[in-house]
Amino acid sequence: MSFPTVVFYVLSAILIFAGLRVITAKNPVHAALYLVLAFFTSAGHWLLLESEFLAISLVLVYVGAVMVLFLFVVMMLDINFEKLREGFWKNAPLAGTVGLIMVGEMVLILMSPEASLGSYKGAAPLAADASNIRELGRLIYTTYLWPFELAAVVLLVGMVAAIALTMRKRKDTKFVNPGDQVVVRRDDRVRLVKMAAVKRSEPVAEAESADQQA
Amino acid sequence: MLTLTHFLVLAAILFAISVLGIFLNRKNVIVLLMAIELMLLAVNFNFIAFSHYLSDTAGQIFVFFILTVAAAESAIGLAILVVLFRNLQTINVEDLGSLKG
Amino acid sequence: MLQNYFPILLFVIVGLLVGVGPILLGWLVAPNRPDPEKLSPYECGFEAFEDARMKFDVRYYLVAILFILFDLEITFLFPWAVVLKELGAFGFGVMVEFIAVLTLGFVYMWKKGALEWE
Repeated sequence: MSFPTVVFYVLSAILIFAGLRVITAKNPVHAALYLVLAFFTSAGHWLLLESEFLAISLVLVYVGAVMVLFLFVVMMLDINFEKLREGFWKNAPLAGTVGLIMVGEMVLILMSPEASLGSYKGAAPLAADASNIRELGRLIYTTYLWPFELAAVVLLVGMVAAIALTMRKRKDTKFVNPGDQVVVRRDDRVRLVKMAAVKRSEPVAEAESADQQA
Repeated sequence: MLTLTHFLVLAAILFAISVLGIFLNRKNVIVLLMAIELMLLAVNFNFIAFSHYLSDTAGQIFVFFILTVAAAESAIGLAILVVLFRNLQTINVEDLGSLKG
Repeated sequence: MLQNYFPILLFVIVGLLVGVGPILLGWLVAPNRPDPEKLSPYECGFEAFEDARMKFDVRYYLVAILFILFDLEITFLFPWAVVLKELGAFGFGVMVEFIAVLTLGFVYMWKKGALEWE
């Protein structure tokens, strides 16, 4: 076995273990962390397939941003996850059968001599200074220009929808607006009132009764 | 020597695991969303494996756009989840039957 | 090309060993007498009133969404920056349009007050 093959099998074992833990973990936080492990391992696989830029963007976008979002949501909601686990294994026999049939079918098809997948040898290993990013850049901004601009619109829609759904102004919070504080003028806060001096009728008696009450 | 079959079988196993996850976690929407992310990962695996073994960069560009769309998808999906929880105090799929005839 | 990444693999393996080694060592060597009281939350003199877990505010989520979108924008900028000389003025205009669309979303977010922490 060559060295890349060994790396492939080790990474695959970790990936399958992480995938199984994602779907069976009791605590969704653990599930999210195992999903991070799965993405990280897949980035290793993609490096083996010589697509370095996508490997690093998988780590940046998924591990760095999307999984953080998942963790925030899990921690934001106060959910009794024990209750959601009721009857967890009820469908396991059916699910296992379906999963095994799917994998079995795929293996039968992929390994059959008719598919002759082994005949695709791929390009010769790239030179040490070959740039995967440059190749991608040349294609995205010329041939795939239209999908690229559409991606901007998808991101815009995603941003607007997420804000419109979750934003809500709290009415009970008190806060200071520094802008208003700075522009305030003397006349807004202080009012000088001129009053004629008045002699009070029984100041002494009132003060005494107030003292007694206190 | 690694062949295309290695990667395609791995992607098939990953896909089957995520289908299994949807069967098992049918009450918990958060884990359902995670299983969908896992499924997308398996699909991306196929694209990249074919792109490498057929020496065609188009596959990688597809994966790039799938990553973009999936990020927007999970952002909106989780936003819907947050609003749902705010209104119903639950994310159990079985409690979401109010549109039932 | 893959040979270039061998140092990174070594780095990851050594990092894993350094991280996992002490945990394993502690697990093997340290005395282990589990007791439910050791895991229970401690509050002086009385039973704990509530769960120690605190709910996160929804505003963290909004910041995280903003982060995802700009993260993706950056990943689109990388290949563009590498081939900008070949693309010329046309490529520059394409990216200006892309960023203009995303800025629209940013302006919406700003106007809506999603960035204000109150």
